[in-house]
Amino acid sequence: MAAEGAELIRKIAAGDTAAFARFYDRYAPLVYPLILRIVREPAEAADVLQDVFWEAWQRATDYDPARGTAEAWMVTRARSRAIDRVRSTRRRSDVFVASSGEDAASLPGEPVADPADRLEERRTVQSALERLPDAQREVIELAYYAGLTQTEIAERLKQPLGTVKTRIRLGLTRLRDIVKGTG
Amino acid sequence: MSQPSHDTFDAMAASYALGALDGDELAEFERHLREGCPRCAATLRESEETLAALARSMPPAIPPPQVREALLRRVAASPRARPSSRTSWIRWGVGTAAAAVAVAAFTGAYVATRYEARLGQMARETFAIRQRLEKNEAALREQLAFYSGAVDLLRDPATRVVTLRGAGPAPDAIGRLLWNEASGGHLFVAKLPPAPAGKTYELWTIVGTTPRPAGLFTVDASGRGSHRVATAPGAAVTGFAVSLEPEGGVQAPTGPIVLASSAR
Repeated sequence: MAAEGAELIRKIAAGDTAAFARFYDRYAPLVYPLILRIVREPAEAADVLQDVFWEAWQRATDYDPARGTAEAWMVTRARSRAIDRVRSTRRRSDVFVASSGEDAASLPGEPVADPADRLEERRTVQSALERLPDAQREVIELAYYAGLTQTEIAERLKQPLGTVKTRIRLGLTRLRDIVKGTG
Repeated sequence: MSQPSHDTFDAMAASYALGALDGDELAEFERHLREGCPRCAATLRESEETLAALARSMPPAIPPPQVREALLRRVAASPRARPSSRTSWIRWGVGTAAAAVAVAAFTGAYVATRYEARLGQMARETFAIRQRLEKNEAALREQLAFYSGAVDLLRDPATRVVTLRGAGPAPDAIGRLLWNEASGGHLFVAKLPPAPAGKTYELWTIVGTTPRPAGLFTVDASGRGSHRVATAPGAAVTGFAVSLEPEGGVQAPTGPIVLASSAR
């Protein structure tokens, strides 16, 4: 199954448009929910989705199956493009937020959502993350979905940077064990 | 000393995988990676797979369909686009196309190149489709003529249906022959193994005890085949047989009989 993804990328690298369509059908449903979760605006998410796959078409020759699965290749790419988008929007909106003295507790770049939606979202948060201790889950969510850096997370949580780093590392190790089924 | 220092890198690798490493540490870790640390490379690889698995458990959301359309249009217009990959010259072509795009972009002819490539591709596709259609149509016409000939035969009360049974190397084979003394016949066979290379099946009309050649035919991979049989003027046909013969056919049977009508 993983090899199938790698094979599709190999064909895409050779310019095979039909393989690209199959590749899209296979990985868009995987990465789109993640992009949407990070950028939150459907129109922005559609934009990022298109960028991510266009980049995959152009960079298919760079893909090395020895360095990871097609899935990881796409998810890493999607996450980093989505976070780039959030960060650039945040830089723009920070100017506003700073002058209007808005609620500093809400996530930067996060549109105001219905509390009921939030609740729903919390309920559907992935089970793997749910199995982490709260402190570890929190730092991973802030990095993974909100695109905060470790320094930003430390500032937001008013915790020493060292503590944040430790939580990230422990959380990720734990998550790996859970995903592998050994946790 | 090297153990505790690598421990720092382990911590950095986790933050890096999450995209959360920043400042001096980011620069330091990237330098460390460039120096080629297999341990950190492995940690990153594993972390990326873990985070990818996390994406799988997201609440589902349907990607907007217009993104797919836009991408497929964009990709088809890309000079690298090939309908399917086959031979190594395509790799060469991809390289050449990529180089051509780079040059064209710099000279401002990018758009023109894109559209020319697209038009060229469309023309090639249209040509291929037309050829395919013409071929299919010819095949269908042939089939239609064959079947309508068979239907005409069936309408004629003088038409007989003759059953041929498998024999020799093809005991399971079966054949039906619509036979009309005045207008000829149609043979349908099934479960007849495809003739080996260099061989063909030949139908014989038996007049008295003398077999007369009545045409060559082949079967498809599933063992089915059909054959239009000409009339045998001036003689009362008493039976039919099919034998395996050298390619091109022969005037008198030499090979094994694979199908024969029951003697009457």
